[in-house]
Amino acid sequence: MDFTLTNRQKEIRRMARQFAKAELAPIAKEIDEEGRFPWEAVEKMGRLNFFGMQAPRPYGGAEIDSISYCLVIEEISRVCAAMGLTLAVHNGVAVYPLSQFGNDEQKAKFLPPLATGEKIGAFCLTEPNAGSDAMAIESRAIRDGDSYVVNGNKIFVTNGGVADTLILFASVNPDDVKKGFSAILVERGTPGFEVGLLENNCGVRANPVSSIILTDCRVPQANLLGREGDGFKIAMAGLDTGRVGIAAQAVGIGQGALDAALKYAKERVQFRVPIARHQAIQMMLADMGTMVEAARLLTLQAAHIRDQKGELSGPSAMAKLFAARSASKVASMAVQIHGGYGYSKDYPVERYFRDARATEIYEGTNEIQQIVIARELLKRGED
Amino acid sequence: MKIVVCIKQVLTGDQVRIDPRTHGLVRSAEDSRINPFDLFALDLAARLKREHSGSITVLTMGPKISEEVLWEALAMGADRAILLSDLRFAASDTLATSYVLGMGIRKIGSFDLVLCGMRTTDSDTGQVGPQLAEELDVPHVTGVEKMERKKDCFSVERVSDGFREVLEVSAPALFTIASRTAVRLPSLIEIQDAFSRSPIECWNLEDLGADPGRVGSAGSCTRVEELIPITQQKKCVFIEGEPRQQAKVLFSKLNEKNLLA
Repeated sequence: MDFTLTNRQKEIRRMARQFAKAELAPIAKEIDEEGRFPWEAVEKMGRLNFFGMQAPRPYGGAEIDSISYCLVIEEISRVCAAMGLTLAVHNGVAVYPLSQFGNDEQKAKFLPPLATGEKIGAFCLTEPNAGSDAMAIESRAIRDGDSYVVNGNKIFVTNGGVADTLILFASVNPDDVKKGFSAILVERGTPGFEVGLLENNCGVRANPVSSIILTDCRVPQANLLGREGDGFKIAMAGLDTGRVGIAAQAVGIGQGALDAALKYAKERVQFRVPIARHQAIQMMLADMGTMVEAARLLTLQAAHIRDQKGELSGPSAMAKLFAARSASKVASMAVQIHGGYGYSKDYPVERYFRDARATEIYEGTNEIQQIVIARELLKRGED
Repeated sequence: MKIVVCIKQVLTGDQVRIDPRTHGLVRSAEDSRINPFDLFALDLAARLKREHSGSITVLTMGPKISEEVLWEALAMGADRAILLSDLRFAASDTLATSYVLGMGIRKIGSFDLVLCGMRTTDSDTGQVGPQLAEELDVPHVTGVEKMERKKDCFSVERVSDGFREVLEVSAPALFTIASRTAVRLPSLIEIQDAFSRSPIECWNLEDLGADPGRVGSAGSCTRVEELIPITQQKKCVFIEGEPRQQAKVLFSKLNEKNLLA
């Protein structure tokens, strides 16, 4: 077992770190406060291939390995969790399912503009009455000639406000969702496609999370991803992969909060010494560092398993659960170390605190991860 | 256009460790990076390659861990990377270093342009570029901020003593680069391509056919007697009184230290 990053992985991390420092650090606070999607930074990330990190080369992707992918998401999220989320969702649950399950025509049509970031991808599963219980979706895509007529209301769509190409889950069978659960590529601008109001969220505010409303929206039959009834398999494969990215995002948030806490603890003087000299602070820092490192190891292990084409559900759920919880705890402790200033918007840790909380909810709540993990554990035979 | 870029690995950490025996700095991969001025040289080389086509060979002298900076250079667009490494090169001063780099460039073959950073952020001598130009017997200009290729020559701009000098230099030539423009980051695809190119080559004293008497401490005409880290004492002084009075005291204190000239 070798835990050393390759030179290639180190170069990729160095590049992502430099980009985040130069381009995202100066705007992270402002775009959070304004809830603004930073197109200027998005365009630059597109030039660096951040929107096609693992897409196939013939379609304009960079085809980097999953460990490098996690390192990029971590470095971006360490500075700006909202852009980390944009990338994790675009790459993990839009570009990846399309690369994996799309046919040649679909890949040729949809992948190149997604891989350059010219178009933004999204994943529409959640509905007002279907979240953790995906099979409860009420969206329907009824076949009519060579089209599907889609009706439905999707909510909490990450990237929703800016997405051009969306993977939407609906049943093609009005009576039997299990049989009819399908994934359909829907393009913004199609008549009957409407972006609802943006969510006024607590954290990751620069990501335009919105609802998407489909009213008699006619989508070509050629936009069906896989076959009719493949939707659940595609959704789960997307989520298994997506969770590795969200775990990396959570590691980045945790690391960012730890960075801020370490800096502050060395600067802030109380009782005539920097507070880093007080054991109470040291103990918090030690726990924070340990949690971030453990979360990173679980995340990179899941990434490694993904590249080895191993069984990913359990490892990605474990990484996501642990990294999300760690990010929340570490960010909360970073607030504590900052005292009153930690609760103020003048310091970045309150943003990390708000951003971290979301990682315990999206791409499957902690409780859903626990269900997946327990199911995998119970399935295993005895050695 | 055939371009050679000479780069150096420098220390980044604020905790500098000194080898008590050699008086040299102790380097490790974790606290080292490419000299920032060399990044400008690499960035310029990559731009020239995009505009005029050609090749970039990047060269460094140092121990095995210096490979790290060569990978970074490959990611930035270099086509070939060579590490000049031999225990006998250790303790080379700038003259011996220039000789070794010169031998490396001779082995590479013909070139149109050699680029170096204007200086390094660790030893800060600015000597290697000019010495290397002498070693190669080519004209050189230091502190270049802008450069264009003309038909048979280069047009370069440097800033000195409040003047902007524009010079024409015949090829082949050597320039040390002082540009402060933002360095273009390589894309993921460019990094992927860099790592699919041939691996880093490593040349030792014999490969270069170098004279052992001109490298390392034997080839150096300077020797570091002692290296003492400087700890800067910061003192915070509070000026009391009414604002007008405070301003007066501040003015006289700054004046005393000749900081208002």
